[in-house]
Amino acid sequence: MAPVSKSTPHASMLRRYWPLAALCAILTVLVGVGSLIGSDQLQVTLTEMLIRLIVVVGIYTFIGNAGILSFGHIGFMCVGAYAAAWATVDPTWKQMMLTGLPDFLQQNQYGFLPAVAGAAVLAGLVALVIGAAIMRLSGIAGSIATFALLAIVNSVYSNWESVTAATSSIIGVPAVVGPWVAWMFAIGALVLAYVFQVSRFGLMLRASRDDEVAAKSSGVNVVRMRLIAFVVSAMIVGVAGALYAHFLGILTADTFYLSMTFVTLAMLVVGGVGSLFGAVAGVIVVTVIVEVLRHIEAGVPLGGITIQIPQGSQEIGLGIAMALILIFRPAGLTRGNEIAFPFGRAARRKRKAAAS
Amino acid sequence: MTDELHVLPPGIEQPQASELVARNIFVQFQGLTAIADVSLKVERHEVFGLIGPNGAGKTTLVNCLTGFQRPTSGSVVLGGEDTTGWSSVKFRQQGVARTFQAGRLFRDMTVAENVEVTALGLGMSRRAGHQHAMAMLEWVGLADRADSIAGTLPYTDERRVGIARALVLSPAFVLLDEPAAGMSDAECDDLMHTIAAIPRTFTCGVLLIEHNMGVIMGVCNRIHVLDGGRTIAEGLPSDIQRDQAVISAYLGMEG
Repeated sequence: MAPVSKSTPHASMLRRYWPLAALCAILTVLVGVGSLIGSDQLQVTLTEMLIRLIVVVGIYTFIGNAGILSFGHIGFMCVGAYAAAWATVDPTWKQMMLTGLPDFLQQNQYGFLPAVAGAAVLAGLVALVIGAAIMRLSGIAGSIATFALLAIVNSVYSNWESVTAATSSIIGVPAVVGPWVAWMFAIGALVLAYVFQVSRFGLMLRASRDDEVAAKSSGVNVVRMRLIAFVVSAMIVGVAGALYAHFLGILTADTFYLSMTFVTLAMLVVGGVGSLFGAVAGVIVVTVIVEVLRHIEAGVPLGGITIQIPQGSQEIGLGIAMALILIFRPAGLTRGNEIAFPFGRAARRKRKAAAS
Repeated sequence: MTDELHVLPPGIEQPQASELVARNIFVQFQGLTAIADVSLKVERHEVFGLIGPNGAGKTTLVNCLTGFQRPTSGSVVLGGEDTTGWSSVKFRQQGVARTFQAGRLFRDMTVAENVEVTALGLGMSRRAGHQHAMAMLEWVGLADRADSIAGTLPYTDERRVGIARALVLSPAFVLLDEPAAGMSDAECDDLMHTIAAIPRTFTCGVLLIEHNMGVIMGVCNRIHVLDGGRTIAEGLPSDIQRDQAVISAYLGMEG
């Protein structure tokens, strides 16, 4: 008998879910510290960061596991945001402005949680229908199809006057999302993404990412696995859209277009597409870079003088950061690794090797 | 240990097909004929060799037999059932497995996960799939590499993982595409033992493509020879070695 590692069920459970537990802990500490000592401005930044984290975790669930770059997920954010707003906005306003809405939405006002659930369901349904068509495509063809999806969603939501108010915004969305609400959903997104990743579906999908032909010859229905991931990821991103609407309080379709797509993809690439840790690290690092640059753009008093950099430096700085990462660490900051389990034999061996 | 290879979970049965048959297969690529009128039959209890010079159409034929290439005409019949229109996924689920010349492992995954994927593809849970994968790895002698990342394995070990991955849950037939390429003599000996044991251990017929004549003559019960997309001989190893057409077309070329 060759030595096969035997460990108790509890220990192996802990080992398996350690990366998730560690990420949740990091996030909790971050939000805890931020909300204790932070200014109002920091609360806002923190909330926005957590919502983006949900978006990036959602996008990662598809891109990271399927290996197909998607430009379309912000479209699901748009779908989710509008779905939730249709539910929570004051009926009198809806009857005046959104005359094309079905009666059950136009006549009633729903709570925040049912609205979020509705956002997830609608985003998931759209992903199911579109995905059934485009999940057969691999590589660049698949990516371009997702980009078309983004453009179509944006056109529809910017022009469907009677349902989305077109270019005039939907106003009066209850702004109920603060750091702790966003934190709660962020933890939920992390758990869902991680459980999917280590599930049998996740492993089969990762196999198809490494080699599609070999996965098929292993009996893996690649198209079905991709579709499952596409729907799950769209639901997560749809929830993030609902949160964003209830964070901003006002909704226009152009919020969910190219710049949001670019920022979230940049976050994922900077952190590393290959791991959930990468998604989280990317969001935190990019948010810090952008916030620092924004502060300096606004002018920082230093001694007698004010240091200021031109408007637009934020985008340039982000672009430079991304280029540097791609040049020096093409697999992202985390190089596709999850947070390693710090106890047990393997870790001890590693420490010993480092010490000697 | 071999017991564990055979204990299939409830609800999963070993496929029953007793023979894999190619009937008058033609494959044309834009007017170029890759395979012309090839027929063969692999049975469940044997190691069936498929040889021929480079470009003879061996891999194309294997692609036809596993759903990766649709024949221009002719058909593939598995246990009496016509497979026209089957996807490669369906072929595996119905019990026809294969390996690839290039290895094609899932490079970023561990060795154990590589093998587990097939178990999952065939409907097992992760826990059961992992146990089964470990038993398979032990059978091919790679249990100690279970946690290595597949992309870091030496070339020859990649083949063994490929074989383990293909044999998960005892398929009815396994098609091995040049498993000995690049192996030393000692490694070839090991591989021959492994291949020869497949029909007994898994009740699984083997179709073996190989250039190494020692391996072919050592393990095959019958041999089929292709040249330029056509069948030039089929028979027992001893007959093939004496066949004039084979010697001039193939063995002769190697001097």
